[in-house]
Amino acid sequence: MSRRPRYRLVSAAAAAAAALVAAACSAPGSSQPSSGSTSSGAAAGPIKIAVVDAQSGSESDLGQFEWRGVKLAVDQANAAGGIDGRKIQLTLYDDQGDPTVGTELARKIASAGDIAMFGTAESAVTLAMAPILESEHIPNITSGQSTQLLALHSPYLFLNGPTGLTYDSTLAKYLVTTKGYKKIAMLTNNDSYGAGEDEAFTASLKSLGITPVATEVVPADQTNMTPALTAIRAKNPQVLFIGAEEAQSGLIVKQARALGMTAVIAEGAPAGTPLYMSTAGVANANGTIVSSPYLGNDVSPAARKFAAAYTAAYGTAPELHGAKAYDGAEVMIAALKACNACTGLALANAIRAVHYAGLLGNFRYNSSGVGIFATSIGIITDGKIKPAG
Amino acid sequence: MQSFFQTLVSGLSFGAVYALVALGFSLVYRTMGLVNFAHGAVLMIGAYVASTFYLSARLPFAVAVPAAMIVTGAVGLVIERVLRPLENKDFDLMLIGTIGAGTVLDAVAILIWSSSGRGVPSPVQTAPFDIGGVRIPAYNVLVIGVTAAAMAVLTLFLQRTRHGAAMQAVAMDHEAATAVGIHVGRSNAISFAIGAALAALAGALVGPMLYVTPTMGDSLGIQGFAAAILGGFGSIPGAIVGGLGIGVIGSFAAQSFQGYSDLVTFVVFTVLVMIRPTGIFGERTVNRA
Repeated sequence: MSRRPRYRLVSAAAAAAAALVAAACSAPGSSQPSSGSTSSGAAAGPIKIAVVDAQSGSESDLGQFEWRGVKLAVDQANAAGGIDGRKIQLTLYDDQGDPTVGTELARKIASAGDIAMFGTAESAVTLAMAPILESEHIPNITSGQSTQLLALHSPYLFLNGPTGLTYDSTLAKYLVTTKGYKKIAMLTNNDSYGAGEDEAFTASLKSLGITPVATEVVPADQTNMTPALTAIRAKNPQVLFIGAEEAQSGLIVKQARALGMTAVIAEGAPAGTPLYMSTAGVANANGTIVSSPYLGNDVSPAARKFAAAYTAAYGTAPELHGAKAYDGAEVMIAALKACNACTGLALANAIRAVHYAGLLGNFRYNSSGVGIFATSIGIITDGKIKPAG
Repeated sequence: MQSFFQTLVSGLSFGAVYALVALGFSLVYRTMGLVNFAHGAVLMIGAYVASTFYLSARLPFAVAVPAAMIVTGAVGLVIERVLRPLENKDFDLMLIGTIGAGTVLDAVAILIWSSSGRGVPSPVQTAPFDIGGVRIPAYNVLVIGVTAAAMAVLTLFLQRTRHGAAMQAVAMDHEAATAVGIHVGRSNAISFAIGAALAALAGALVGPMLYVTPTMGDSLGIQGFAAAILGGFGSIPGAIVGGLGIGVIGSFAAQSFQGYSDLVTFVVFTVLVMIRPTGIFGERTVNRA
């Protein structure tokens, strides 16, 4: 091959490479004028809101529930005319339950022009995303319940339910004061949810003068809980408190019953889900004491109406997480209406000013971003949660 | 003492499942010289197919499991056929090909069954056996029994049948095997299919013990892989011993080290493998490169 064609080939390749590098160097979406900045497109066009949740991986159930709850509220609002004639446009992002992916998505939704965010259902991911969302001025209504969220003191972060401490203190009070149980054992996992439950429930018991008779911790992806349960069984507890996600909690109960443990099971939000019941088996789940702000779809006319709409839209009945997400979305919609689709800090302040009577209770946000301060106690009977008498 | 035996029993039950997974790894390695990284994903597909037959089609469990094994075996055949051009040519690429196949299976599972998991009720409803305060669920005994039977059948197949012997011949020297008239591609296909069927069996059996999700193959695959290495990669009895070993070590680690049980299990595994790198029943590594 002679030298000249090769020289041309090399310089053509170099030019192509340079063009590619130049294209790649412009940050995605940052210089596009149509991303909802204050120039011409601001007062027209859809209101873009992001929904960030686990759509894959072990927490994908929670992600599904949250997406459905939010979408139902938004679809209803859009059908009623939207906000000043503008429709809300939801975009769903999959955080895979991974805080690192969450931080990438936080940057992505900021550059995509989303003015607010729903999600995530995992406190660990929400915690990771919160500082970025704060610096990008994007209000976030989350289903997470960890008290660590409050420690961030972000004016842009709001919880759509009570904190874990509320769940656990209500539960502890019922178990110790109302039912008089003295021998309580605890089994939690070591992820951020389980660790939070361990801390909150231990503190709640301590304030009532009770020390747990046994405390065991299992890894979050552990499937064989028999060794931990064997140690707990030896202490003969009256109650077993579980701090783990839905599927693992169900497995714990299943394995506990297989070991012959007759202790009453007590838990927060995860025990109120159909997933818990199907993993534990209905027979094993019966008798579980659940601390939850949404005991079921029959507790009020509003709940029945919500459940009917949800079932019509999705073919399955809703549960706590869908109801929380629905309430959170309704709060956001109310705030957007009140401030005429404002964004940033103005929207955050509008959310804080909303008084909303929701499925979970009366929302009235304080400066830490918590809007609901109580839960109720239910007992699983015949596969359904009935309010405790 | 009671707690010791209880922990041992639960370790053996899960260990039997790891042993089945390890059997599949070892078989494919023994006959193709290939570490199949899609094995965990195949297990997950088997679990989903079996639970679909059992729950949605309402077939008896004893029918659902073999049916799932056949379906998943067919999936194994497809994977082998797709990767066949790489066989005997570029080994590393074939290995990477199995990783890709695993990713495809994960995505297909989410497409078909959605990312939410499903609980599978235990098909054995009898009360657990109670021996001196140690409770053994009847289903766990069934799983251990099936694993023992699978090992026996597989050993007989490899040692007493023509196809089994052919599969091992291909692993030793595929050119010589071709020279004596063995169709290497077909032999590898059968091997892959049997490996997949074993993974499906493990997945189908473990469903009622755990919870079927698209990611269940990840951790079970790792445990099974470690079990296969511990027992000697490629050795059939080694897979059983390694599987039970990992199960029991994990169980006792959970009892003593609680939240750090995974860490301890794999530290123990690492130490054992450093002492004896070829595994307990250490076999010569199969050289296919």
